[in-house]
Amino acid sequence: MSADVLTPAAAAALLYREALLLDSSRFSDWLDLFTPDVEYWMPAWRDEVSTTQDPDRELSLIYYRGRRNLEDRVMRLTSGLSIASSPLPRVVHQISNVVVLESGAGAGTVNAVFVCHRFDPRMGRTDCFFGRYDYQLVLEAGDWKIARKKITLLNDTIPTVVDINSI
Amino acid sequence: MKLADLIDDRPEAGIFRVSRAIFTDARVFEAEMRTIFEGGWVFLGLESQAPGPHDFFTTHAGRVPILVQRDETGALGGFVNSCPHKGARIALVRQGHARQHICPYHSWSFDSAGRNKAVKWKRAGCYSDAFLQDDQGLARLPAFGSYRGFVFGSLSANVPTLDEYLGEARKLLDLVADQSDDGLELVPGQVTFTYAANWKLQLENCSDAYHFTSAHPSYIRVLERRQQEMSADVVASVWENSDYWKEETQGIGGGSFSFENGHVLNWGVFGVTPAIPLYERAAELADRFGPAKRDWMFNMRNLTIFPNLQVAENASSQLRIIRPIAPDRTEMQTWCIAPKGESAQARRQRIRQYEDFFNPTGMATPDDTIAYENCQRGFAGKVAPWLQGYARGMTASVPGGNRFSDKIDLHPARSVLADSQLCDETLYHSYYRAWAQRMAGEFGA
Repeated sequence: MSADVLTPAAAAALLYREALLLDSSRFSDWLDLFTPDVEYWMPAWRDEVSTTQDPDRELSLIYYRGRRNLEDRVMRLTSGLSIASSPLPRVVHQISNVVVLESGAGAGTVNAVFVCHRFDPRMGRTDCFFGRYDYQLVLEAGDWKIARKKITLLNDTIPTVVDINSI
Repeated sequence: MKLADLIDDRPEAGIFRVSRAIFTDARVFEAEMRTIFEGGWVFLGLESQAPGPHDFFTTHAGRVPILVQRDETGALGGFVNSCPHKGARIALVRQGHARQHICPYHSWSFDSAGRNKAVKWKRAGCYSDAFLQDDQGLARLPAFGSYRGFVFGSLSANVPTLDEYLGEARKLLDLVADQSDDGLELVPGQVTFTYAANWKLQLENCSDAYHFTSAHPSYIRVLERRQQEMSADVVASVWENSDYWKEETQGIGGGSFSFENGHVLNWGVFGVTPAIPLYERAAELADRFGPAKRDWMFNMRNLTIFPNLQVAENASSQLRIIRPIAPDRTEMQTWCIAPKGESAQARRQRIRQYEDFFNPTGMATPDDTIAYENCQRGFAGKVAPWLQGYARGMTASVPGGNRFSDKIDLHPARSVLADSQLCDETLYHSYYRAWAQRMAGEFGA
């Protein structure tokens, strides 16, 4: 198998690494996983059964094109100036059902599911978020990077706050 | 418990205080549900949520599930969303299209005008005459109506007309509705969130200019970074283009208006800037309505129609419905509200600004809702029961309007003109005076 084909093992390794970086608040390493022009998208729900499909005409929970915007999110999250973010909640991401759907020369698409448990020490409250991930990965200088990440949050009644570290 | 223990309103002494108990006490909450949310006008939704015949949407009035639907002629009706047979909800989704609703429990069916179409196995049912003479249709809301596409209903018939209830605040709904000849729509994608605190914290926060630089410094820092870079890669925000909220800004930058029945507006000057998606229609709107009204459409405006509707036009445009669940739990239903027919580019700009600022997954709202939860925890302290957050602006509040309201022939009950640091708190008095009026029958004076 050629080295520029995305294997299931390589896909899982990247997703697990992303989860570990979020769970351990290593946000600058987390940002390094994305391409500069990444599309990072968590659609809203249009009705009981379907999410919004067109981010330009319909609302998303989060939509950014460009890693630069994720850097803003990280800056806010770690600034110590956001009462919603300090102290940071404790989170664990569990990623499973990782499936490589397509793999071509230096590019691949991946599906996975996630569960994120979050404990907010300030309120003594535990919440759980779950959903699906759709990734587009590209090979850059020998490393797989995230060119697109779509997060479908299935339990979308948001308990006060959901930030990039709990999805 | 007496009303005087809950609200201490003595204008002649320069005192307005609110007891922490109004945010925590279960008897107060029960009385609020009965007299305010289930005993008077509440906002239900937009007409555009049910655009054609047989279209419907569901919502709540207090704890009561409500069905708003158009009949075959297109006439809107408001009903209790509950089967008269055993009480089950008959419409189970937020929005849809149905000539008939069939109760999922025993298959009684109802047309889009709320009439009973069939009682299953009626002839075989050995019903009494008394039953057969009864009306098996859906219960209609005793009061129901809409203004400029905003739909309201009341579970009590003992209310003023909707026009009387909204009063002068109608002109502020006009500023929203007149942005397009085709009216308003909700951008697809509803966002619902909850917080562990009282509903009145949301009521107040919308009108609270005092918290912005305190609760949102992390967002302000993001804005400053974007402003320095001027990069096309970042989400543009109208706040970057406005100085009215900055503490070093001099002169009159906005203020507040209070109206009868608890409706309030706080506002600030944004100016007619391309950072606002409506900019593409700026010239057209000035031709149509005159520059003064056009300029008001571009002002930062946070409007509350008491008790449960807020339309916030600041970073973008948001419509919120406040739904109290318990004294310490509230559900917020939120939408991006937009003029129909705006360009694809303006719509995209509006949506991006909205997500960044208003979403519970964005960079500003969570710092508000977490603050509400901190307040709710703090309200447990009743050693000094009176809250002091209703005093700013006490000596600036004047009866009637001012030169800004005069420009659009708006006649508020009271007004405050403010520089960036005044941050009026007397507009909350309007909430609590309306609240006290409604609650008077529940508690002795």
